[in-house]
Amino acid sequence: MKSAWTWVLLAPPLAVALIFFVGPLGYLFYVSVHAASPSELYGGALTLQNYSSILGDSFYLRIIQRTLGTAAVILGLCLVIGYPVAYFVALLPSRRRMIVVLLLLFPLMVSNVVRAYGWVAILGRRGVINTGLRDLGLIDVPLDLLYSTEAVVVGLMTILLPYMVISIANTLSGLDPRYEEAAQSLGAGPIRTFVHVTLPLSTPGVASGMLLVFLLTLSAYVTITLLGGPRSKLLVSMIYDSVVSFQWPRAAALAFILLAIALALTGIIMAVLRPARVQGTGR
Amino acid sequence: MKLSLSPGRALRGSATGLAFLLILAPILVVVVAAFSPTDYFEFPPPGLSLRWFVEFFRLDNMRNAFVLSLELALLSATLATVLGTLGALFLARRRGVIAGLLQSLFLAPLVFPTIILGLALLLLYKTVGMPVFPGLLLAHCVIGMPYCFRTVLASVQALDPSLEEAGQSLGAGPARTLFLITLPLIWQGVLSGWLFAFVVSFGELNTALFLSGPGLTTLPIEIFSYLQFDAADRTDHRDGGRDRARRRPRTHHSLALIAVIVTGARGSHP
Repeated sequence: MKSAWTWVLLAPPLAVALIFFVGPLGYLFYVSVHAASPSELYGGALTLQNYSSILGDSFYLRIIQRTLGTAAVILGLCLVIGYPVAYFVALLPSRRRMIVVLLLLFPLMVSNVVRAYGWVAILGRRGVINTGLRDLGLIDVPLDLLYSTEAVVVGLMTILLPYMVISIANTLSGLDPRYEEAAQSLGAGPIRTFVHVTLPLSTPGVASGMLLVFLLTLSAYVTITLLGGPRSKLLVSMIYDSVVSFQWPRAAALAFILLAIALALTGIIMAVLRPARVQGTGR
Repeated sequence: MKLSLSPGRALRGSATGLAFLLILAPILVVVVAAFSPTDYFEFPPPGLSLRWFVEFFRLDNMRNAFVLSLELALLSATLATVLGTLGALFLARRRGVIAGLLQSLFLAPLVFPTIILGLALLLLYKTVGMPVFPGLLLAHCVIGMPYCFRTVLASVQALDPSLEEAGQSLGAGPARTLFLITLPLIWQGVLSGWLFAFVVSFGELNTALFLSGPGLTTLPIEIFSYLQFDAADRTDHRDGGRDRARRRPRTHHSLALIAVIVTGARGSHP
C-alpha cells in the first residue's frame, strides 16, 4: 500500500475538509475583520472594530461572563456526578458494563431538541413537577422553574453527562488493578489510594470528558433557547441574534471570540490536568 | 479493584441512580406523552393512543421536514462513509507529522463548535450562491465524516497487515487487495460509521439552524421552531398550541429509537 496511487485515497476527503471546513473558517475570519455593510456581507475597509466594540460593551461582557459561569457550573456538576458513576461503571463485570454503557449511549442518539423538550415538559408550569406538587396539595400557584439559568444548567448537564461518564469510565476500566493493589499493600487506605493513585491515573479521561462537555456547552444554542428563554442568553445566542439581524461581521467576530474562549479553556484544562504525563509522554 | 469501601460503594451506587434518572427521565416523559390520547399535556397520560403520530404525518410541513431529514441523513451518511473510509485507509498505517496533522484535521469537526461551522458555511454559501439542499448535504457530511473516519481507522488498525501482504504477494494489485481483502474485513467498522453518521445527521441542529432555507427545513429545526413559537402560550394557556407542541418531538423520537436499536446492536462508539 505504499505506492503513489494511495494518495488518490486521500484526495477526496482532504478536498472536502479543506473546502467545507478550513476554507469557510478562514473566510469567516476575513469577514470578521471587515466593517459592516448595509447591502453586502461585509464592507470594504479592514478593521478590528467588530472585536473592540464587542469587548468594550458591558452588555456583551456580561453575556461572556454568564457564559463562562454557566459552563463552569455545568462542568463542575458533570464532574462531581459523573466521576462516581464512571467508577461504578468501571467496576462492573464486562458484560454488565457493556449494557450500562449502551444505556448511556442511547440518549446521545436522541436529538437534543427532544431531550430539551423533555425538560420543558418536566419543569413547565403545567409540567410533571408542578402538577405533581399541586396534586399533593403542596402548592397552589405553579412554580416558575423554566426559563432560567438554572433550567439551562440542569438541562445541559443531563444532556452532556454521558460524555463525561463514558470518557472517565473508559480510562478507569483500562487501569491496571495492580497499581491500586500495590498502594494498598504498602499501607495506603482506600481514600489515600484513590487520591494518590486512581485519581491521578484517570486524568486523561477526566480531561477529555471536561473538554467534550465544555465545548458542547458553548454551542448548545437550541437547549439554551428552549430552557433559558429570552432572559438567560449566552454567547451562542448572541451569534444567532446577529445572524438573524444580518450583522454578518459582528456575528463572525462573536464566533471567533467564542472560539478563542474555547481554545483558552482547552489550554487551561490541559495545563492543569496534564493528561499526557499519565501516558508517559509528558512531564 | 475489589478492595473498595462500602460507603464508597453506596456513594457510587446512588450517584449512578441519580445520573440515570436525570439522563433518562426527560426522554421517558416525551416517549410516554407521545402516546397520550389527550389534547393537553397530562402526565401520566390517562390512556394510550397513536393519534398524534397520525396527526404528525397529516401536517405537510412536518411530513416534508421528515422526508428531507431522511434524505439528508441517507445521502450525507453515505458520502461521509466513503470519504471517511478513504481517509482512514490512507492514514491507518502512516506515522509522522503530516499523518498526525491530517488525522487531527479529519477528527476536528467532532469537537469543533458546530454553530461556528454553520455560520462559516452560511457566509460561504451566500457568497458563491450555493443552493440549499447540497449545502445542507455537505454540512452534514463534514459533521458525520469524523465518526466514520474514527470507526474505520480503528478497524483497519486492528487488522493484521500480513493478510494484505499475503494478497499482494499472491499477485493481487492494490485495488483487488482493497476490495477482496481489506473491505470485507473492515465492513463492520464501515457500517457502524455509517450508522453514526446517519444518526448524527438526522438529529443535527446547529448547522441546519443557519443553512435551512425556505421550504427546506430539517425535522429537528421544524420541531425547534414549533416549540419556540408557542413557548409563550405553552406554559400558561390551554389553547391548541399546547398539545401541538407535544406531537413533534415524539415522532422524531420514535425514529431516533429505531436508529438506536439498529446502532446499539453493534455496541461500539467513536
